[in-house]
Amino acid sequence: YEIWEEGLISSSHIKRGQRSLPHRPPVIPLVARMADQNTSGTPAMTEREASRLDKFKQLLAGPNTDLEELRKLSWSGIPRQVRPITWKLLSGYLPANAERRESVLQRKRQEYFGFIQQYYDSRNDEHHQDTYRQIHIDIPRTNPLIPLFQQASVQEIFERILFIWAIRHPASGYVQGINDLVTPFFVVYVFEYIEEEVENFDVSSLQEEALRNIEADSFWCMSKLLDGIQDNYTFAQPGIQKKVKALEELVSRIDESVHRHMHHYEVEYLQFAFRWMNNLLMRELPLRCTIRLWDTYQAEPEGFSHFHLYVCAAFLVRWRKEILEERDFQGLMILLQNLPTMHWGNEEVSVLLAEAYRLKFAFADAPNHYKR
Amino acid sequence: MQNNHHKERLYKILVIGDLGVGKTSIIKRYVHHNFSPNYRATIGVDFALKVLNWDQETVRLQLWDIAGQERFGNMTRVYYREAMGAFIVFDVTRPASFEAVTKWKEDLDSKLTLANGKNVATVLLANKCDQGRDVLTNNGIKMEQFCLENGFVGWYETSAKENINIDEAANCLVKHIIANENDMLQSEVLDTISPQLEKDKGGTCSSCFRSQ
Repeated sequence: YEIWEEGLISSSHIKRGQRSLPHRPPVIPLVARMADQNTSGTPAMTEREASRLDKFKQLLAGPNTDLEELRKLSWSGIPRQVRPITWKLLSGYLPANAERRESVLQRKRQEYFGFIQQYYDSRNDEHHQDTYRQIHIDIPRTNPLIPLFQQASVQEIFERILFIWAIRHPASGYVQGINDLVTPFFVVYVFEYIEEEVENFDVSSLQEEALRNIEADSFWCMSKLLDGIQDNYTFAQPGIQKKVKALEELVSRIDESVHRHMHHYEVEYLQFAFRWMNNLLMRELPLRCTIRLWDTYQAEPEGFSHFHLYVCAAFLVRWRKEILEERDFQGLMILLQNLPTMHWGNEEVSVLLAEAYRLKFAFADAPNHYKR
Repeated sequence: MQNNHHKERLYKILVIGDLGVGKTSIIKRYVHHNFSPNYRATIGVDFALKVLNWDQETVRLQLWDIAGQERFGNMTRVYYREAMGAFIVFDVTRPASFEAVTKWKEDLDSKLTLANGKNVATVLLANKCDQGRDVLTNNGIKMEQFCLENGFVGWYETSAKENINIDEAANCLVKHIIANENDMLQSEVLDTISPQLEKDKGGTCSSCFRSQ
């Protein structure tokens, strides 16, 4: 399959013959087990998938991409082949006008590396060293099970992205959890240059320029995402407090028995849902599911800041049977902090999203309609 | 197997300290008997349960592993509620994490007290002792003195990696928690008797009460 019809990125970015690590550990399918996506080595696409990919390609081929159409199409998932450019368009990083894209990319990439030149040396200055130290401690433990993220050059990229973002956003600075949020962008933008699975990919086989592009694009797209949820990370994290309360309120209306059960055993939503909001469910789902989830979040208006709440409610109620079976505080907390989603793939996420959409439709515009 | 004489105790224990000092590792070692060098950073709070046999009683410890970033400092009040004991952890290879110990202790004591007004039992853990003990030797800190001055009931050099002193530290904390609890039970008994004496002054039973 041709990954890039537009020729924006050519395969010459990959140095031939250096693609795989010499000793591959067994592949843990944390990222790339995307059943409905065709990659080399997996079975051929279904007709439906092929036709979806065609629609994307058509939309993306024109001189001006219809972003509304692209959103509609992306809501139910974006094929791997067109995900990088689609994410960049939906996030507003790239303009709809195709002619302008290359110059925008160049400018933004230059701007990012200008920040690095200007600020990165200050990471050991007195007023920044705490920030840098915290990031430095958190990077090796970001996705510790995926070999890709244990490579020194990848960890350095994450450190730069997070440090620059943190010092440019002093109202929040670096908050634990933000490190996770870089990951989906990084993985998707690596996909732009490779066809194989990403878990064990050795980034040193990419040309330096490709890696720099991945870094800058990840930075800007993460920044766009965080712009929309900044009050999650400012002092006292008011955005999260508000959303956890809203989740509680919502669940009390959609599933009173679950709500009462948790209340009875004195489980507070903040005790488990803080993480759901702070890390956008990334800790509760395998990375491949987060990537699929973000297809929809970027297609949905206010996906990360608002629709996420309905996804969390749908997610909680998804476990109602297991929740109601637990008969004490300890059991409930251990369940809620270790929900069994290891095997989840696109199908489960699609069901979750459909339910979230239904909830949004039923409750968003009539907040008091179902009030007890 | 529970019989009628079998008492059960349940205690909430906090594990706090700066980020990356090994709080999660200590809990995993204590509860699951294993170690990994790269646990993901705790977000908000993680919960674990440890069951102990203690003098023919079952003791359940709810371990609350609280995220170390100071950012979460304002959240700590919610997490501290109803705790009976705490570990404060620092990393012996990082002096800054030791300097933060007193801040964590102040945060704890300002937001949490036992029913009798005392501070909860707190044990100090000097973790990663397998990697050296720079902080302990270089600063000339007398740890016993430090514990006395700052209200710790004890301190241990620990290593979650090498499984050093984790059980011992936990036993020390549980011992003090139980002692505190017994103290409070006794004073509660006194509290409930004395108002009765007041109230029943001059009543029929008060005299026999007094004569005893």
